[in-house]
Amino acid sequence: MKPVFVTISVVLLLSPILEGQQSTPALPPVEPQVPGEQPGPSRSSPPGQAIVPVPVPIAPPKPNGPVQKSLVRITATSVEPDYRAPWNAGALQRGVGAGFVVSGNRIMTNAHVVANSRYVTVERDGDPNKYPATVQFIANDCDLALITVSAPDFFKNMIPLKFGGIPTLESTVSAYGYPIGGERMSVTTGIVSRIDFQLYTHSSVDQHLAIQISAQINPGNSGGPVMQDGKVVGVAFQGYSGDVAQGVAYMIPTPVINRFLKDISNGHYDEYPDLAITYAKLQNPAQRKFLGLKDDDRGVLVSSVVAAGPSDGILRSGDVLLAVDGHPIASDASVELEGERAQFEEVVERKFKGDSVKFDILRDKQPTKVTINLYKPWPYSIQGHSYDVRPRYVLYGGLLFQPLSLDMLEAYRSSDLRLRHFFEYFILEQIYLQHPDVIVLANILPDPINSYLAPYRGAIVDEINGKKIRTLDELAKAFAEAPERLVIRMIGDGPPLVLDRNKIQSARERIKTRYNVAKEQNLEERPASDAPKQANKT
Amino acid sequence: MLRHSFITFGIILVGVSGTLAKKESAIAPTAAKQKQLALVRVNVTGQSYDYFRPWQKKAPFSKRALGAVLSKGRVLVTADLVANQNYVELERAESGEKTAANVQVIDYEANLALLEPTEKTFLNGITPLEISPDTVVGDRLAAWQLEPSGALLATEGLVTTVQMMPYPIDIGEFLTYRVSIPMQYRENSYTVPLVKNNKLAGLLLRYDSRSQLLDAIPAPVITHFLKEAESQNYRGFPSAGFSFFSTRDPQLREFAGETGKNAGVYVTNVEAGTPAMKAGLQVGDVVTAIGNNEIDQNGNYVDRLFGKIEFTNLLTAHAYAGDVVPLHIQRNGKPMQVNLTLEHRDAKDYVSPPYNLDQPPRYYVLGGLIFQELSRQYLKEWGPNWQREAPQRLVYLDRFQSEFFPDRNRRVVILSQVLPANSTIGYDDLTYLTVTKVNGKEIKSLDDLAQAVKQPIEGFIKIETEEDPKQIELDAAQVAAEAPELQENYGISSLQRLQ
Repeated sequence: MKPVFVTISVVLLLSPILEGQQSTPALPPVEPQVPGEQPGPSRSSPPGQAIVPVPVPIAPPKPNGPVQKSLVRITATSVEPDYRAPWNAGALQRGVGAGFVVSGNRIMTNAHVVANSRYVTVERDGDPNKYPATVQFIANDCDLALITVSAPDFFKNMIPLKFGGIPTLESTVSAYGYPIGGERMSVTTGIVSRIDFQLYTHSSVDQHLAIQISAQINPGNSGGPVMQDGKVVGVAFQGYSGDVAQGVAYMIPTPVINRFLKDISNGHYDEYPDLAITYAKLQNPAQRKFLGLKDDDRGVLVSSVVAAGPSDGILRSGDVLLAVDGHPIASDASVELEGERAQFEEVVERKFKGDSVKFDILRDKQPTKVTINLYKPWPYSIQGHSYDVRPRYVLYGGLLFQPLSLDMLEAYRSSDLRLRHFFEYFILEQIYLQHPDVIVLANILPDPINSYLAPYRGAIVDEINGKKIRTLDELAKAFAEAPERLVIRMIGDGPPLVLDRNKIQSARERIKTRYNVAKEQNLEERPASDAPKQANKT
Repeated sequence: MLRHSFITFGIILVGVSGTLAKKESAIAPTAAKQKQLALVRVNVTGQSYDYFRPWQKKAPFSKRALGAVLSKGRVLVTADLVANQNYVELERAESGEKTAANVQVIDYEANLALLEPTEKTFLNGITPLEISPDTVVGDRLAAWQLEPSGALLATEGLVTTVQMMPYPIDIGEFLTYRVSIPMQYRENSYTVPLVKNNKLAGLLLRYDSRSQLLDAIPAPVITHFLKEAESQNYRGFPSAGFSFFSTRDPQLREFAGETGKNAGVYVTNVEAGTPAMKAGLQVGDVVTAIGNNEIDQNGNYVDRLFGKIEFTNLLTAHAYAGDVVPLHIQRNGKPMQVNLTLEHRDAKDYVSPPYNLDQPPRYYVLGGLIFQELSRQYLKEWGPNWQREAPQRLVYLDRFQSEFFPDRNRRVVILSQVLPANSTIGYDDLTYLTVTKVNGKEIKSLDDLAQAVKQPIEGFIKIETEEDPKQIELDAAQVAAEAPELQENYGISSLQRLQ
């Protein structure tokens, strides 16, 4: 996986800085000031603004055909946390998707079908019953999940499907599921269009191998098997909405599925590890000569190494990666795997937590070898969606402090320049070193005690009473141990936020009652800065 | 008091001219006066520099406006009318006679410019406009436009607000009249004068046809501009160099040690090298008065004409570079005084200059790599919505430049983009990177870059960037050898402009 920070397309909502009006000097201007010219250089597409595929939502069922005894319809009731009122339970949602039986009395589906779920039921062809199901394993970083049904005879008449390999380009596949357009199971057929790394939008921060197919995939197909020659060659999971592109749908290929199944064989899902480096292709002849490389089209340049990642201290900016686990890396970052060319990250993609990977490198023109013990660096998690966790927050004097994350930014639809910068460069500028939690004064519940504090909304906490605050826990502690007066300094050049501790104490009950706040803080979900969450459920 | 005399005067005028208007009116000119209106058409043709191809200019634009004729053969217009002009032409309203004109003085920040006709006698027979200095909220002003025949079209409007507002260049704020007025479309309306009793009260700054609100550069700002323009060396409007915040919050006031009722504003930042810094103003000081003008907790003082106005007016329209202004402050509860010697801060005196007009952009092309210096002018190439559409990291550096680069004596050199060529194969997709070093030397300006390029490392030019890829290298000999072909292919007149 090559983790990617996502440029969020946000909507301008409450913009504290930008003045709306750019009115013309006279009406209307007689001549355009810049005649017809588009600003910006003439490039085909602006960087970083790839159209993000929408995860395929879900719909109703019924079976037909050879997978009738393997296919199920899954109904999940979920509770989406409310990042704007994090003390509330959240919004109730109900969704329907597909799933299929695999060996071991389990049903495979997408993580996004059962994420945040509170109650799951399963139905199958020819059976009027709804069966309660539980989530066994959920992998939010590759959108897969395994659920099981406790009813003893459920799996007796079901046929577990087997997995195939990667289908060849242009070969035909059939997708089964319960999309819109009817009640019964539907089949659509298409060909394999492309095999490439894609962003998995469920987390929005992970990229893995995905196969693009031309079969019509619609809401309701999520989690359904895509078959070729009687075997599962993929799980349908995302596609483009009709007004962006047609006939472009994606399925999770079997290497990703098999890795998932192997990962959970020890009883928990340990997530994809990552090298946590950035690199550049070495296609410029002058640069190759400078680095001491031969004219052999091999090697990529290490640009940056994330300090919180496994390559820290082992790889350096300026190293040239020549081979990974013995596979030579070409100057376009590809390697040959099983007769096919793939990105060299694919080698790491197939590894598990605790595995190691070896690189042949060139450092200061000298060849050497290094070994890296892999794990998933924690800072990436704030840049992806979180599931099955309650938002962390501290409410004090009606001031709501929350750590910056993708979910939080999307909930507030903030367009603040500094917040967006801290989010996008959290890893690249190693902001996480100073601020493991970027603590934002996200919201203010109006009360006489905070009448004048509206201008501080959206600011990032730096210090309290002279002490640097790096995590939400430290913030809560500073509030709990506060002397008479709290002086909170925010990042940037605003005045300090001054609070009188006694006044806040006397306002606590009033604020809790007025805004129906049950709990004034939640520090409990393991914060991002700890070891990666174990996202399994029993 | 003022209102009274205005009304009386208005009634007398109306009686004399024999029109039927009963309420007071700012529209005064009679048929006899139209022939000598102190207005000329100003037709401007210009070309802006193309910041993405900095060796060339964009296609020409034209703007047409009305200029106010002032004494001593000068015509007053807005600066953004004539910024980047190639040719300015004046045209007499009644006869259509034309002549070329030069820009005599221009202030981009206050958005004002003075033109003079090349033909010295061109404005003969026109009675120049005087300035009307005492417009207040509730007054009626007339916007003057011209019909195609040269006849005057005067539209009346009501001054609804007088307050400090940002001008187009967005450096600090200036006094502005806001007028509710139903303007009509006529040619030559890029800017038009606003008058009160045939005297110049303001100049149109911007107009919103939906709300029918017009913002005008007011007489006090114009007066300041004209006074400075008389001297040989135009110094512009001064600035103090500190940021402040209201003290509405009683807890902040208590923290600042404020005693007594006098509120004032809390100093949140003092920029290096500015009058405030030199005077010893500190973060945490509370400014309670400037001279005899007390400042309330919202930062307003009471102006004798306008009532409550933000105190920054005292340091802009009412002050000149070189003035010594006494600032009354409280520092940790103790009243003190610091004396500010005001200065104008030049656009060059920023790490990312706020504007660059009538001057070509600096650049350096190396083998296809285009290097430039970050400026807000560069970011504005992304259009009116540049704050969201320009590369956000550069917008961030520009916005918070005083935080990241307190030592102002430098620029931010960026690798803007790459022209595909033999020496830059593989680098084509690089854009908007900030350059840290070249050939091991730290880069703080394009001059540094031009120097460092001359000392390759074993024949290679190594460029280090803050962002990925962190380093790129070029073959120095190849770059030199292929330079003529690069110039030819891309029509680059000169590979560098450093002056």
